[in-house]
Amino acid sequence: MILMSRTQWAVTALALAILAVLPLLLPDFWLSGILGRSLIYGIVALSITFLASYGGFISLAQTMLAGIAGYTVAILAPTAIPAGQNAVSYWLAMPLAVLAATLAGAVVGLIAIRTRDIYLLMITLALAVGFSLFAQSNIDWFNGYEGIRNVVGPELFGQPFRAHAVFYYVALTVSALLYLMVLYVVRTPFGLVLQGIRDNPRRVSALGFDVAVHRIAAFAMAGFIAGCGGVLITFYNIGITPGSIGMTATVNVLVMSVIGGLGHPIGAFIGAVIFTLIDTFAATIYDRDRFNTLIGLVFLGIVVASPDGVLGLGKRLTGWRKQRDAGDGGTPH
Amino acid sequence: MLDTTTRKDRTEALAPTAAATPALVTENVGRSFGALRAVSNVSITIAPGERRAILGPNGAGKTTLFNTICGDHPPTAGRILLFGEDITHLRPHKRARRGIGRTYQSSLLFDGLSVLENLYLAVRGAMPGRLSLWKAGRGDAALAKARRLAEQVRVDTIAEARIQSLSHGQRRQVEVGMALASDPRLLMLDEPAAGLSAAERPELVKLIRDLPRELTLILIEHDMDVALPNSDIVTVMKDGEVVVESTPDRIADDPVVQAIYLGGEH
Repeated sequence: MILMSRTQWAVTALALAILAVLPLLLPDFWLSGILGRSLIYGIVALSITFLASYGGFISLAQTMLAGIAGYTVAILAPTAIPAGQNAVSYWLAMPLAVLAATLAGAVVGLIAIRTRDIYLLMITLALAVGFSLFAQSNIDWFNGYEGIRNVVGPELFGQPFRAHAVFYYVALTVSALLYLMVLYVVRTPFGLVLQGIRDNPRRVSALGFDVAVHRIAAFAMAGFIAGCGGVLITFYNIGITPGSIGMTATVNVLVMSVIGGLGHPIGAFIGAVIFTLIDTFAATIYDRDRFNTLIGLVFLGIVVASPDGVLGLGKRLTGWRKQRDAGDGGTPH
Repeated sequence: MLDTTTRKDRTEALAPTAAATPALVTENVGRSFGALRAVSNVSITIAPGERRAILGPNGAGKTTLFNTICGDHPPTAGRILLFGEDITHLRPHKRARRGIGRTYQSSLLFDGLSVLENLYLAVRGAMPGRLSLWKAGRGDAALAKARRLAEQVRVDTIAEARIQSLSHGQRRQVEVGMALASDPRLLMLDEPAAGLSAAERPELVKLIRDLPRELTLILIEHDMDVALPNSDIVTVMKDGEVVVESTPDRIADDPVVQAIYLGGEH
């Protein structure tokens, strides 16, 4: 029951070290516009991957949960336009926002308690679309269609949150902590029970575990992860609108998770980087308006070539190479 | 000699006496699925420490009876008492906590987890503080117990292997280990030897025979060679009802049993 093998630790440490020195090498645009952005959306994708990989639940409510955190921090933000009635310091608003997303996650888990597969997908999608429409029509709290602007985030080390290096390092630290948290949690009794529920819920119950409570806790934890992402995304976009948490955003994050691979948490970040690169350079490659065509084709290509995403592709390639090196000449499956 | 005496004593104690609380009592238990009555009017009493075998042709309702006892499919009629406590309406995990352990006819293990993790989960399920966010360290009592169970059911050499990669016989052994993890007072084994190769069978029979004597055991088994030496009393079911209840040495001579087993049904 080890967290990671020695090789995996080494690779993780190396990757983190490289990511940590990148600010010295990369232009600011790459730092926050590509990598930072990939990381914060990757966090929301991570919450999907966590539920899918270890619980076997595909939830489409994760962008909504990120949005709940985003709206909470925006409503409470001291700099927000229009200004909220209950503005507090960012240092209080941020934990409250993550708490709101965690609780909302638990509520999603409670609502979806008996559903699986396609029904779970439909229920969470309905919740997501419902919340986005609610935010769009509610003026008092959410300021309707326009949303809430100028949510710039707190100052860190005397610099604005949106300063490229500050934003990048915060996104990197939060992502790394959440990623390691997921790896740790799935080896705890809670995480093992969750995987038990994925493999065989009836047996989990027969062993004496309360499946319902564990499911709700899993959704709450996924809400916590998505909430952290939601707060950072709101600071990155300097505000939040109903459109940014609607159907398109929901599908985008799901696409990231699937492109990267739902088999392991790192897939969420791989998928987010690929997505962000395509999103950013679609205009250069072909035409800005053809982004959806392009990402659709990439999505199709990856899913057809490897149903378990880029991760699965990588695994297959290494497996194939190992087989070839072993000289047994077997065909890869 | 001693063994036969105890068997006889138990036979005489078939009717519930006031002396000792029976381990398990089913009172007119029935279970219907829509119009289908899978089990009806089953009343059995099992004494603490007794080994009970349940025989019967396919579709006799043996597994359904197990399911009513462990709560996967609670009874639609009748009552179930576990050591005197009415558990008829308890959910499965509550029944497990009161001391029922069982295995399933087809292996129901966690394929994506290792042997040790499967056993560890089974141990944790029987402990307080089930929802825990602390990873087991080296000195963890539950983990140590999982390792002991792995030795007991002889899977300690493959403890880190994923269930996916195990043979059928090995899965069966893990199943029994998991059922034992909660230190059950009542252990129910659903066809533990089904599908085992001739080489794997003696290993399992030995495993069952080595179980602690104070454990109450109910065994569903088709294979007489596994069932009879491991039981004090044999209950025969057919079409959802109990047709015969007797000792292993007399059961083979019973005309009803002969009709079921030799009369063309098998």
